[in-house]
Amino acid sequence: MVAAKKTKKTHESINNRLALVMKSGKYTLGYKTVLKSLRNSKGKLIIIANNCPPLRKSEIEYYAMLCKVGVHHYNGNNVDLGTACGKYFRVCCLSIIEPGDSDIIKSMPGDH
Amino acid sequence: MVKFLKPNKAVIVLQGRYAGRKAVIVKSFDEGTRDRPYGHCLVAGIKKYPSKVIRKDSAKKTAKKSRVKCFVKLVNYQHLMPTRYTLDVDLKDVVSADVLQTKDKKVAACKATKERFQERFKTGKNRWFFTKLRF
Repeated sequence: MVAAKKTKKTHESINNRLALVMKSGKYTLGYKTVLKSLRNSKGKLIIIANNCPPLRKSEIEYYAMLCKVGVHHYNGNNVDLGTACGKYFRVCCLSIIEPGDSDIIKSMPGDH
Repeated sequence: MVKFLKPNKAVIVLQGRYAGRKAVIVKSFDEGTRDRPYGHCLVAGIKKYPSKVIRKDSAKKTAKKSRVKCFVKLVNYQHLMPTRYTLDVDLKDVVSADVLQTKDKKVAACKATKERFQERFKTGKNRWFFTKLRF
């Protein structure tokens, strides 16, 4: 439990990096497009909210395992993830296609 | 970032008459074609799985129980669940995109894949592919 608890600093840094991707990079939001991006191997990092249904979460993780793409479990629910993306709707999963100026791909994968 | 919908990949068909059946990708069309402007692939799958063969069975019974019924189909990527398994059966000469145009060509292709699947089942390899998915 203690290991899973994310400090406020890293959580903010993910939000900052995500904001930079939204501004300068390419991404897709939503389950259908995330699977599409994994199928044609365009996705570079997948972010899943913590209240994603477990079957859907496993499915995305399985696709990402086949693709050798990192999956980041966002420390927040889909409402928070939508806000972090700067959107006014809920986002359960998103796929980063081009990180733009952000270093989210280099610094994020590895943690699960 | 590795493409995984490649020939010889074992997949599970999710929609349609063959939902829940295991299949192997023979040819994949990532960009689609004029008729199907979406990513799809040609799969050869098992319509009827072989039954469980036990040591007690006579040769005639084993032969009867090892029968496999096959299908050949063009399926949208969205209606497939890829798996980590592969099936190295060479079906490229038997199954191709023009096979689905006429019924007798399709029947001939299904018969040929049936032979290949049956001999692979008899060797005992790829056991996962020939077991029915329970759901």
